[in-house]
Amino acid sequence: MRLRSVWAVAKKEVFHIVRDPFTLALAMGMPVIMVIFFGYAIEFNMKQISLAVFDSSKSQSSRQLQKTFVSSSYFQSLAVLSPAEAIQALDEGRAHAALLIPPAYAENLRPRSESSVQILIDGADNSSAGSILGYLGGIQQKVLSAEFGPYSEPITVQTRFLFNSELNSRWFVVPGLSAAIIAILSILLTALTVAREWENGSMELLLSTPVRPVEIILGKLLPYSVMGLVAVFFVFIMSQIVFAVPFRGNFLVYLLACLIFLSTYLAQGLLISVVTRKQQLSMQMAMLSGLLPTILLSGFIFPVEHMPRFFYYLTMILPARWFISLSRDLFLKGASLQNILPGFLALCALFVLMMVLATRKFKKDVEP
Amino acid sequence: MSAVQVKNLSVQFGDFFAVKDLSFSVEKGEVFGFLGANGAGKTTTIRVLCGLLLPSAGQASVCGLDVLSDAFEVKKKVGYMSQKFTLYDDLTVKENLDFTSALRKMEPEKFREQKEKLLKMIRFKSSEDILVRDLPGGIKQQVSLVAAVLHDPEIVFLDEPTAGVSPAFRQRFWKLIGGLAAEGKTVFVTTHYMDEAEQCGRIALMKSGELIALDSPQELKRNSFPDREPQEVSLEDVFIEQVEGG
Repeated sequence: MRLRSVWAVAKKEVFHIVRDPFTLALAMGMPVIMVIFFGYAIEFNMKQISLAVFDSSKSQSSRQLQKTFVSSSYFQSLAVLSPAEAIQALDEGRAHAALLIPPAYAENLRPRSESSVQILIDGADNSSAGSILGYLGGIQQKVLSAEFGPYSEPITVQTRFLFNSELNSRWFVVPGLSAAIIAILSILLTALTVAREWENGSMELLLSTPVRPVEIILGKLLPYSVMGLVAVFFVFIMSQIVFAVPFRGNFLVYLLACLIFLSTYLAQGLLISVVTRKQQLSMQMAMLSGLLPTILLSGFIFPVEHMPRFFYYLTMILPARWFISLSRDLFLKGASLQNILPGFLALCALFVLMMVLATRKFKKDVEP
Repeated sequence: MSAVQVKNLSVQFGDFFAVKDLSFSVEKGEVFGFLGANGAGKTTTIRVLCGLLLPSAGQASVCGLDVLSDAFEVKKKVGYMSQKFTLYDDLTVKENLDFTSALRKMEPEKFREQKEKLLKMIRFKSSEDILVRDLPGGIKQQVSLVAAVLHDPEIVFLDEPTAGVSPAFRQRFWKLIGGLAAEGKTVFVTTHYMDEAEQCGRIALMKSGELIALDSPQELKRNSFPDREPQEVSLEDVFIEQVEGG
């Protein structure tokens, strides 16, 4: 292998990149757009949920109950005059939940008796419904301790969330952002650039010179590796400065994981381009096998643990699933290499597999 | 030693023979024309001779090196101008030539000399910093020839180098081919133009992967139409007689 050839191919690739507005825009703009979209738009925690309240008890206790809802800052109340009006508010979307307090609420609120209220939740949006349901338990406890004092319940559940104590959505999303950006930069751009050499016939001209296939490939991948690494650093810096996500792990371990993940996706891009040899098809394959699974099936947004069995096991062949989970462990839990070893090994295995597949297929195709 | 020696060469894709039982040889310093309709096996033969494709059967050697066992060495000795792709449009002339010289592992001194000499030969007047896409088609083909012979190969394969180029540029291009042959280089060229074929030392006529005639233009005319004077016969007639009719 001659470094001069690798360097020459890499240099040529840089010329292609800087002179192609599409590639340039994708490479420079995409990380920024992704950080803005995923960093700001995704919010799993709902605040200021509109709560229609029908209070037929009109007692001190019922007012206390409403106050507890509102003071949690998760709800804001909308007083209604009848249960029908509450349902109408739900229908029209003015309220996402309704609280119906019966006339006997206050009377029944005493030891060895049962008092109940009815909560209606707009189930059309099930992720909001889930959040609302989650808040109710906490509110119930607060009401009990306000009415009967802190020791009213035989057992009190005190919940403390570890690693992300405020359940901040950004802390959950941002560590996985690198994976999504690398999926675009590595799989998509590599697949496109190598497919382009096949499509326009220049690959053959390259191969007619005494240059080794591995030199061509390394040269072509080098600029995209650098771009991927720059994106990783960009996301890391944004995560620290703008989103204030803690980074509690070992940065070198993280960097190593990034490099392995990046190389796996570069190999996947290469494999796609060698198999399709067409830019259009490469693009579609890159989207289907790279971008979509990375965003939807990797646990980046939707936790893999909650997926149906089949998909849960399917995610295991996705490098992004392992990378994202170990990124989170490193960012939020400060995991040591030992803690994340299974994920790390899985990532390494997928890396080796993809590299072997890609280089084999490539060598088989270019060698006469 | 012949520049190219081909013996019983066959290239098979599945059941289809792109080239079948082909035998010929090209002498050093010869301008060897390779004629035939599309799909006659011209490009396939060239790809084998450039070490880009393995023959299914038979032997082929270039500059005394076997293309099967010595493909890598063959690549060092030959220049190749492909019909499908010539130069990167989004790179400048200079960047394209720099790239070729790096792939060819040329010494900087030798590269400078060769580039100067060849650009002078094609009378290249524009700036080297012009993007290839801004070059007129004829000039682009000439620069592409420069790239193909930059490393001073013993033999150069030109696959339809003048396709889609104006007649004036085609004429200039063939002057350049003549110049290369005068330097002692072997030129192996395919073309669709009969006036170009006239300028070859010898012509091989291909049909459906098989060689159907191989001779100098004069002899081809004499053999195809024994009862007519050679100067009255055009190669066009020969081509029609041999390839399409016959």
